[in-house]
Amino acid sequence: MNKMTPAGQIVSSQTAAISIQNVRQQYPGRHSSAAVLALDDISLDIPRGEFVCLLGPSGCGKSTLLNIVGGLIKPTAGKVQVSGRTIDGPSPRDIAFIFQESTLLPWYTIRENFHVSFKFSRIARSEWQSRTEEALAAVGMSRFIDHYPEQLSVGMRQRVNLARGIALGTDIILMDEPFAALDEQTRMVLGEDLSELLAKTGKTIVFVTHSLAEAVFLSDRVYVMAARPGRLKTIVEIDEPHPRSPDFMLTTRFGDLRNQLYGLLRDEVREGLQIERKSSAAAGRT
Amino acid sequence: MRMTTGARIFWTRCAMLLAALLCWEVYARLWADTRFVSPPSLVLHAAIFELFREPGVIDALVTSLWILFVAYALAILFGVAIGLAVGWSSFGRKAFFPVVLLLYGIPQVILLPLFVLIFGIGPACKIAFGLSHGFFPIAVNVISGMKNINILYLRSGHSLGASSFDIARYIYLPNMLQSLFTGLRLGMTLTLLGVVLAELYVSTQGIGYWTKLYAETHDPAPLFALIAILALMAVILNELVRAIERRGLRWRG
Ligand SMILES: Nc1ncnc2c1ncn2[C@@H]1O[C@H](COP(=O)(O)OP(=O)(O)OP(=O)(O)O)[C@@H](O)[C@H]1O
Ligand SMILES: [Mg+2]
Repeated sequence: MNKMTPAGQIVSSQTAAISIQNVRQQYPGRHSSAAVLALDDISLDIPRGEFVCLLGPSGCGKSTLLNIVGGLIKPTAGKVQVSGRTIDGPSPRDIAFIFQESTLLPWYTIRENFHVSFKFSRIARSEWQSRTEEALAAVGMSRFIDHYPEQLSVGMRQRVNLARGIALGTDIILMDEPFAALDEQTRMVLGEDLSELLAKTGKTIVFVTHSLAEAVFLSDRVYVMAARPGRLKTIVEIDEPHPRSPDFMLTTRFGDLRNQLYGLLRDEVREGLQIERKSSAAAGRT
Repeated sequence: MRMTTGARIFWTRCAMLLAALLCWEVYARLWADTRFVSPPSLVLHAAIFELFREPGVIDALVTSLWILFVAYALAILFGVAIGLAVGWSSFGRKAFFPVVLLLYGIPQVILLPLFVLIFGIGPACKIAFGLSHGFFPIAVNVISGMKNINILYLRSGHSLGASSFDIARYIYLPNMLQSLFTGLRLGMTLTLLGVVLAELYVSTQGIGYWTKLYAETHDPAPLFALIAILALMAVILNELVRAIERRGLRWRG
């Protein structure tokens, strides 16, 4: 495998699970002048079996990029290939999506929620029951199979939601700030569980987060993005075997990596805030 | 003896109804003009010994109920279908929802002569008029039920490769059930209103015709009985929809 050095260099097409090639995304605004360039010519290859993080200031296009990879948005230009196939719409056989908030449907029990998502992704009915039970057992939530989501705490719900995504059995999982709604302790614990759950499976994970600690703790590779327009800034590699123990967080290397990420981001964030202030001042004048 | 709150509420309501009937009875027997007002006891008597002996009235009830059901079924069909079509995209809602609301706001009684002109004086006219009343609350509630959906449910569905039918059946429908049932209940009441209005205006049969007849011949006892039957029908149908609603919304606890 070729080593990736500067931003966006090719790893090697064979090993790349996801290959993002010159992707641009422009959202139309109300007037043509108000169009937002959310992503500007992004190219990157995500190696098979890696756990990678997208990190960047708010509005730099992380969700947009994830939605493009998942086939939910068609990019204005460029393309995404998954296992050599160009993405054109959702491909539930290859890619599972786990969202920000729990997307369990409140009108179905946990069991029914699993079954509905299996139905959506056209998994054979004979597998529904065993897949549901196995996935819930893996996250220790078997007892709640016939509960409604609202009867569970937010943390338990997201644990179930993760299990549901994993139960789809795809090689790739995309997660958009899956722990954003949780308190810090719960998200650390869920993060540890996730690292353990996914360590053996060889799945490719793309994870969006705002938490530096989470990024360092979970990823093999952090893609640091810059805003306005959204583009790739650097890649930081985190060379530490999975599953990672909480002790990793106490090492000086962990602290150094975290600080390195913060150093890369703080200017971006400051700049973002300044632009924000300028444009809102301009908006106030008109 | 201790009662649950539910039982206490139930018996209080019964007592109130009884008290009202009693006041009416006393008033009607002592002071009222019998050409206009009958006491409830006579109304009951008239219902049993006059109305239900009159085959025309029984036929009328059957006819009206039949017309009501056809009109209501059509109102549900069109209301849900058009509601879904308009509510599906934000473009559809922006383009057509105001139109629906505008039409909903027109008092349709003024259109009744037009309905007669188009559909004649047979059942078709009453069905059409009932439908035109029942349709709007159903469509409007379906559309607003679709408007407030969590975008993430849809995105999650799409990411799983759900078809449009899947999205409608498993996400939109349950999400708007609450609002749909509100529409169904309102639609039922309004369909009944539309049917009875049409019958009062044009008909030679149906409940509306008989109420008109009794009113014109100053025979208040059977008239009140008929009105009571109509009211009872409305209440029962309403409760029916509510019972279905309770089953459909079990997950709300
Ligand atoms: N549907 C849309 N229409 C117009 N503009 C959009 C749309 N979605 C996103 N944008 C804009 O594109 C840019 C990138 O948005 P995106 O949601 O991808 O950012 P993000 O990195 O996920 O931000 P956050 O960290 O806050 O979630 C933002 O400026 C946003 O305002
Ligand atoms: Mg986002």
